[in-house]
Amino acid sequence: MTIPLTSNRRGPLSGLLVLELADEKGQFCGKMMADLGANVIKVEPPGGQNTRRVGPFLDDIPHPERSLYFWHYNTSKHSVTLNLDTADGKAIFGMMAGIADVIIESYAPDYLTSRGLGYDTLSRTNPGLIMCSITPFGQTGPWRDYQTSDLLHMGAGGQMASTGYNEEDVPDAPPIAPGGGNAWHMGCNFAYMSIMAALHYRHVAQEGQYIDVSIHEACHLTTEAAVPTYIYRGEVVQRNTGRHHSVGPSFASQIESSDGGWVQTTGSGGNPTPRRLRGLAEWMDTYGLAEDLLDDKYLDLDTFQASLPHINSVISEFIKQVPQEEAWRGGQKHGYPWGAIRTLDEIVEDEHLKERGFFTEVEHPELDRTFTYPGPAAIYNGSPWAISRRAPLIGEHNVQIFCEELGLSKGELTALAEGGVI
Amino acid sequence: MTKPRALDGVRVLDFTWVRAGPMATRWLGIFGAEVIKVEWPERLDSFRRNVVTVPTGIEPGPNSPGMFADQHVNKRGITLNVRSNKGMDILKRLIAVSDIVIENFSSRVMQSWGLGYEEQKKLNPEIIYVSMAGLGQTGPDHAYTTMGPSAQALSGQTFLSGLPGQPPAGWGWSYMDDSGGMYGAISALTALRHRDATGEGQHVDLSQMTTGITLIGSAFLDKTVNGRPSRRPGYPPGNRTTWPGTPVMNNYRGPTTAPHNTYRTSGDDYNAWCVIACFSDDEWTNLVNVMGSPDWAKDAKFTSLAGRLQYQEALDQGIESWTRTLDKYDVMERCQNAGVRAMPVQSSENRVEHDPQLKARGMFSELEHPVVGVRKVQNAPFRLSKNSVEINRHAPLIGQHTVEVMEGLLGISHREVAEGYNDGTFWPSGMPMYAYVEEALR
Repeated sequence: MTIPLTSNRRGPLSGLLVLELADEKGQFCGKMMADLGANVIKVEPPGGQNTRRVGPFLDDIPHPERSLYFWHYNTSKHSVTLNLDTADGKAIFGMMAGIADVIIESYAPDYLTSRGLGYDTLSRTNPGLIMCSITPFGQTGPWRDYQTSDLLHMGAGGQMASTGYNEEDVPDAPPIAPGGGNAWHMGCNFAYMSIMAALHYRHVAQEGQYIDVSIHEACHLTTEAAVPTYIYRGEVVQRNTGRHHSVGPSFASQIESSDGGWVQTTGSGGNPTPRRLRGLAEWMDTYGLAEDLLDDKYLDLDTFQASLPHINSVISEFIKQVPQEEAWRGGQKHGYPWGAIRTLDEIVEDEHLKERGFFTEVEHPELDRTFTYPGPAAIYNGSPWAISRRAPLIGEHNVQIFCEELGLSKGELTALAEGGVI
Repeated sequence: MTKPRALDGVRVLDFTWVRAGPMATRWLGIFGAEVIKVEWPERLDSFRRNVVTVPTGIEPGPNSPGMFADQHVNKRGITLNVRSNKGMDILKRLIAVSDIVIENFSSRVMQSWGLGYEEQKKLNPEIIYVSMAGLGQTGPDHAYTTMGPSAQALSGQTFLSGLPGQPPAGWGWSYMDDSGGMYGAISALTALRHRDATGEGQHVDLSQMTTGITLIGSAFLDKTVNGRPSRRPGYPPGNRTTWPGTPVMNNYRGPTTAPHNTYRTSGDDYNAWCVIACFSDDEWTNLVNVMGSPDWAKDAKFTSLAGRLQYQEALDQGIESWTRTLDKYDVMERCQNAGVRAMPVQSSENRVEHDPQLKARGMFSELEHPVVGVRKVQNAPFRLSKNSVEINRHAPLIGQHTVEVMEGLLGISHREVAEGYNDGTFWPSGMPMYAYVEEALR
């Protein structure tokens, strides 16, 4: 069996066959592999994966084929349906697993093993198989069977302890979990990395292996200075409005511009120097708002460093008088790593992203429409990233894979459908 | 017997600094790559100057910040003056014997050194070159620089975090440095797979800001497909899925549901909070039972999802009146044992000292560092059945492995190396040397 379904044949992962049995916890890992050229077959329960029921939906009309959430996370994949609680479903899955390079799965620990589909069983006939489990807490430990969500991981993993508001800005505010499903992204990023490492090892040693990824640990490892600050100093960080956590007070770096936008100045980040300040101050002076920053005393490094609180507040007062776009680009032109706090309303119009080819048009032939999707994080100059097709419809490739590749007859397929297997 | 490492034999020449780049090579080192960090004492990595994580009682210096010690495990470190002809020549010899070159300078710095991809390729036809500039190597704004917070701002990550009607809360650290680091490793490993399959190297042009946009995909499609504006009432919805009093809609945090929020727990600790989410009527009924079936919760208006969304304020107040009486771990255990999703908001101290799951899984082990002493180090979130991902090498002291790498890897004679220390190739002329450097030179 060959499964000749890959269309991004030039991608760095072309030639790999990946089976994905994953909900929100693992689908992003499959997307990354599929857009980079792997042939990813999503094995969905009959009726479709539950992530098809998550909004937003096309034109706000809920339907399992209209979930924009599902669309985003399942680009370039193929779909078959299979009920793993039936003998036929298990047998068919076993056939596919026998020729797969990688299996990504996010079922509860023991789910596949209890159905005779664990790594030990599958690797007996396919010793090169790499299987990666992505679960809330990993396969072991006292919290192994606890139920979670994106929000819960952000709480337990430490994101919320670092994110929120100063009391003087928003009294009694709770710790905040940033949106967008990033707990799942963190887990999938590490899962993807481990699969790539295992593929290299297989290239060298000719053997596959089993990988156990914990989303909780992935989140825990994504809180930067919080843990080293505790380990090395015994100190616990506090939350600050729109900027880094800190031990004790820190300088506000998120400044509201004259047009009601916000500019992130990163505080003293970006290694400011007297020379850079001089350039910035000359520009501020064209607005008549440089205050005393053109004073030659700031060319002296010691004075400059001792005056940073004053310098920062003059810069902040300046930004308040200037429109967002003018302010952050002006800072950048003078070597300050500022950023505008943009919404997608601005991002989709960004000329820089357009020129880098970020915006990716994806055809939806079933709707006779084309939509703009986010492009890649990185440009692979030797083996391009591409969305080879829109997310699959439910079981869209059942005939191709079960009949044309695995050799089932249309009659057998009908029987499987009637028996609730596909 | 110790297990082999997945990336045994893969050599990474590491020009990264600050946070995002060093996190990329941290993961590559944990998979077993031989990471050689290239430094110069007169242009120190700013995290070697991170005084706020120098342990109390230890003299600040380039080898004492805790942040540096944590993010540079499993790497070697050399000092090399790339601004001298001799240093540049040695650098080229290092590129010739490496598999991966990785840097997170501003865009086109390597090009300005005469070491863009085409030049690297001449030195080593199969080289994998990963650049990690803020906005990438191409495009009208490529020369702009970012720190984590500005990359987050530009990518839309900052705006989707916070309470409606308040300033953005953003992320309380450089999320796009931690994640950007993962993508540095992801890019290098993906290109390595391509090279394993085809024998071809390549240049991967990663952008920290762009990476952030790929992590808000459903919001992106809601804009490009549905035309929904980001500036709208009730958005972002705090920790809720939808804000009471505003139109119910999906705000990109999974299924639209209530309860789905933070609640205060007992005590006055800064992090005395827990999070609870119910995704079905059954889970809500279980929560009512765990709370002891209080009268307010039995009110018919809460039995349906529509009702719980409509009366979300009252719902959250009721739940908090219960959680306030309990410790946050107690809330978790009671709820989880009854089939309700709940977790504590954990501080760094909670995670290091208390979290029984991290403890049972061996998240922390002890590692000795010559300057900061024996400290806990954070391990990997993945276990590979055939490969070790152990951390067994402390962060390099500045210039610790110069002699070892020059002699052992490049076969430069001991005499020539010593000469390089005198002529400013391996150490700035006139700068006092550390005892361990002199020791290595003996």
